Amino acid sequence: MIPSQMLKGTLEGCILKVISHQETYGYEISQALQTYGFSNISEGTIYPILLRLEKNALITAQHRTSPLGPKRKYFSISQTGQVELETFLSNWQELKTAVDTLFSDRGDPK
Amino acid sequence: MKKETQKLNQLNNALDKKLSKANNEVLTDIICYLRVANISEYHQEVVRHDLLEMVLSAQERNDDIQTVIGEDYKVFCDDVIASLPPKTPKEKLYELLDIVCLSTSILGTITLAMASETYALIKDTISGSPKDFQLSLSIFEVCAYFAIIIGAYILVQVILGKSLEHKAETKHHILKAFIKGASFMALLLLLAWIGKKTLFTVNIIVMLLIVISSYWIHKLLSNAY
Repeated sequence: MIPSQMLKGTLEGCILKVISHQETYGYEISQALQTYGFSNISEGTIYPILLRLEKNALITAQHRTSPLGPKRKYFSISQTGQVELETFLSNWQELKTAVDTLFSDRGDPK
Repeated sequence: MKKETQKLNQLNNALDKKLSKANNEVLTDIICYLRVANISEYHQEVVRHDLLEMVLSAQERNDDIQTVIGEDYKVFCDDVIASLPPKTPKEKLYELLDIVCLSTSILGTITLAMASETYALIKDTISGSPKDFQLSLSIFEVCAYFAIIIGAYILVQVILGKSLEHKAETKHHILKAFIKGASFMALLLLLAWIGKKTLFTVNIIVMLLIVISSYWIHKLLSNAY
């Protein structure tokens, strides 16, 4: 299981990426994240992040009737969200490269 | 309450009825905690609506509320509150004014209903005797007005703010708050009782107008935010 402290900075970008695939709702996002290997991500973990993304206009929400139970809040990515997603990806790749480089180094003198 | 908020509130009340007993208990505690948070009434109802949708969907899937929200409800609520815009200074001012106006209308009505001067005036009006419109307000009554408003406000904030703590801890906090609030009120009332002298007199009609206009301002304010 990935520690929550480690997830903190990356989950927002990952949720944005899931939403960019297709219009989706909270429970479906948590299920999608689990299929990608993010274990134990409940709707409760995602909900405050979705509120934040919505507040920052990175996603938009719309209530729709669901075939089962009450209405659902469907989220889709906005133009600003797309730009933010690209920024997240480039930041992540920079971080990943740095961490990979550090861990592939056996400590030989330069 | 604004029309939009009121509509959402009614919708949420209807959805509440579909909750199972166990889910209803947990959601009630969560909503109580959100009620005293620094977020607008509209955002409280939006979050309540989202949570109701989440929990009702979980109910359909036979999942329990812990699976949806997680084990620590307080951490969840604090995360939600931090993700929402705080109340604006204007909203805070409206809320304070609303509390003062509503309290004034209620306490003013009680004062008028319990004053011997009111009954004397009614009696004089019926018998056709000369009327005395003056109502005496003592230091005691003025202090009681402030003590009741402040004490009640503190008590509500403490009880709702501790709604997500363990029951034993909550009882302890409520007891502590009750003792503090009651001691504060008792002290003020005692001091005021000593000074039972009339602080000022007010015309009963003026007092009645204050009560009516306070209630009217309260109604206006509750529709404005």
